[in-house]
Amino acid sequence: MLRRTFLMLTTSLAMACTVSQANAACSPDYSGVTLTVASQTGPYIASALKLGADEWTKKTCGKVNVVEFPWSELYPKIVTSLTGSDATFDLVSFAPAWLPDFVSYLSEMPKEMQSGKDWDDVEPAYRERLMVWEGKIYSQSMDGDVHTYTYRTDLFSDPKEKDAFKAKYGYDLAPPTTWKQYLDIAEFFQRPDKGLWGTAEAFRRGGQQFWFFFSHAAAYTNNPNYPGAMFFDPETMDAQINNPGWVKGLEEYIRASKLGPPNALNFSFGEVNAAVAGGQVAESIGWGDTGVIAADPKQSKISGEVGSAVLPGSDEIWNAKTKKWDKFPAVLPAPFMAFGGWQIAVPKVGKNQQAAWDFVKTLTSPEVSGQAAITGGTGVNPYRKSHTTNLELWSKIFSPQEAKEYLGAQADSINGKNVALDMRLPGYFSYTEVVEIELGKALAGQTTPQAALDAVAKEWNRLTDEFGRAKQLAAYRAAMGLPPKN
Amino acid sequence: MMRNDPIKHVFIWPAVLVVLAISIFPLIYSFTTSFLSYRLIPPIPPRVVWFGNYATLLQEPRFWNAIFTTTLIAFIAVGVQYVIGFGVALALNARVPGERLFRVALLLPMLLAPVAVALVARMIFNPTMGPLNQFLSMFGLANLPFLTNGHWALGCIIAVEIWQWTPFIILMMLAGLQTLPEDVYEAAELENASAWQQFWGITFPMMLPISAAVVFIRLIESYKIMDTVFVMTGGGPGVDTETLTLFAYQEGFKKFNLGYTSALSFLFLIAITIIGVTYLALLRPHLEKRR
Repeated sequence: MLRRTFLMLTTSLAMACTVSQANAACSPDYSGVTLTVASQTGPYIASALKLGADEWTKKTCGKVNVVEFPWSELYPKIVTSLTGSDATFDLVSFAPAWLPDFVSYLSEMPKEMQSGKDWDDVEPAYRERLMVWEGKIYSQSMDGDVHTYTYRTDLFSDPKEKDAFKAKYGYDLAPPTTWKQYLDIAEFFQRPDKGLWGTAEAFRRGGQQFWFFFSHAAAYTNNPNYPGAMFFDPETMDAQINNPGWVKGLEEYIRASKLGPPNALNFSFGEVNAAVAGGQVAESIGWGDTGVIAADPKQSKISGEVGSAVLPGSDEIWNAKTKKWDKFPAVLPAPFMAFGGWQIAVPKVGKNQQAAWDFVKTLTSPEVSGQAAITGGTGVNPYRKSHTTNLELWSKIFSPQEAKEYLGAQADSINGKNVALDMRLPGYFSYTEVVEIELGKALAGQTTPQAALDAVAKEWNRLTDEFGRAKQLAAYRAAMGLPPKN
Repeated sequence: MMRNDPIKHVFIWPAVLVVLAISIFPLIYSFTTSFLSYRLIPPIPPRVVWFGNYATLLQEPRFWNAIFTTTLIAFIAVGVQYVIGFGVALALNARVPGERLFRVALLLPMLLAPVAVALVARMIFNPTMGPLNQFLSMFGLANLPFLTNGHWALGCIIAVEIWQWTPFIILMMLAGLQTLPEDVYEAAELENASAWQQFWGITFPMMLPISAAVVFIRLIESYKIMDTVFVMTGGGPGVDTETLTLFAYQEGFKKFNLGYTSALSFLFLIAITIIGVTYLALLRPHLEKRR
């Protein structure tokens, strides 16, 4: 009897020790909590969320269920859930451009997360601009997005190519500083008989197409003399998309479509990456994924030969106020923060808000996000200072020269003096849908660039009036970092 | 149970209420919404605009383009489906060798999900990496812009529709052919009527009622085409392949413009009704002749 009691006591003690050890491993302890996150279909972003989820589970014993939707379905799914006030999702990952549509349904980031070493490590372009809406923080960047330029260093450093290029165009073959040079280079390397084409960009409707067009236009429309006037006049909210700067941008975008692989019109960003990694094109523009994928020997034929640079610019920029071209003493790059990087936020109706914000903290920590940034296919590009300064991290995938150029291009773009912010407005889809439709017509030659953009401007002005011009103006100014208009 | 037994209400009313809840009330709600300017994103308080949404839509070139595109897809696809389907049904009815195998194999496309079919089609028609263009390039032909040129893209969508839904016509027509009386054909044989004469004099007129029904069903279904277009072209290039349902989807679930989308849905209903009524009115004299 005594022996049996002793045995039971020992067993109970052992079990108690095991449980307390398990709980001690959970810090903070979220065992029993399962968070549901809405994401676009993987691998892009969804795999980064899963990477963060694994870390969070190890740390807190909570679980994360990543629910994936195709890109085109993500916005409707989130809107339906938020406006229906159901608690389907504990977290939503989304584009910064959608923030104005979601903001009234999101909880504010806890104040303690808005300070400290990790907070200061986030690049100011995200921390002070894209994560902010009317002075408050409702979301956390989990990806950095800025368009940069990628090129094949083997072609650009080939003495024969250099000589031939100089003989034809009268200047040295090097990463372009203007869009004219970009098109010259594309034209020079357009050699279909050798399986080599000039450039690759996204041109397909629904295939991230309009951001590539915006990148071209930013060089001619993001005027530092009249800040925030790229898309709309920040005084009147009149659409600017049909001004001469935009028309020039569209003409060059159309020209680029003719200097790509056959049927480049069907390219989305995925095809752009495939064309670059396949060594089919001499140069390209796009998000940071291109460089990471092209450097990966498992996915690329040009690994070790990947160069990066800031997007080309212009020394002439349209001034929406004076309605004239402003001439600048030197070429002014206008790196475009296309899309602006994925963000993650916690809906107000969520039942596990504390746990959800804790997950955000883990997911976006320098360690976890740094690992995601160097993992091809996660879709995570640098958005922390530590992402671009930690050369050791990048040496796993890049050669020293590749890493230097890639990280330099990312850092110089995000911190560029004339960095162009993407449009963020309530009713974002209504504004961009008409852009996609008219771009499709202009690319197919069914309409002229001016006529296409006139149609867009007309619809943008109509939408602005329908949504309320004063409200939209206030939102646009907030998105562009301008003070409220009195 | 007597005819006037009050117990009947216990059985009838739950069913009536279910029908009201899941069908009639949403329809009424949607109809009333069509008279409102009502957006979820950005949230704008509903405002009565009466026939404003309808007037805007009728002046909208994109709406007329969607009507034209949908009609083109529906009429061409169903027309070709009918001709091929009837032909194959006749062949199968003639007891060709391996008829059973053909019958099962030919029905397979209809059993697949349209989204899956469209995904496969998108890969086949991929201008750069698709096997079709690679095959054509073996003969020295240039890459064809299957999904990047409006006309080609429409042709591809119609081809996929034909491939997938011809089996439905085959199935229905074969069922009809197998019910035709043998003695009529025996009499025709005695009169030395040729196969062609037998087809136009007996088979086609006797199959007219079932043909009318099959074409009607397919026409209505084709007007609702959405998944194939959504996956293959997304309505592009531009709006060259945008159908009515895709247009409604974009307005309703991308822009959350609920009033406008409700009006669009009712205009769609009106258009379908007009087409259906016209179709039946045109066929009525021929069908009545058969009675």
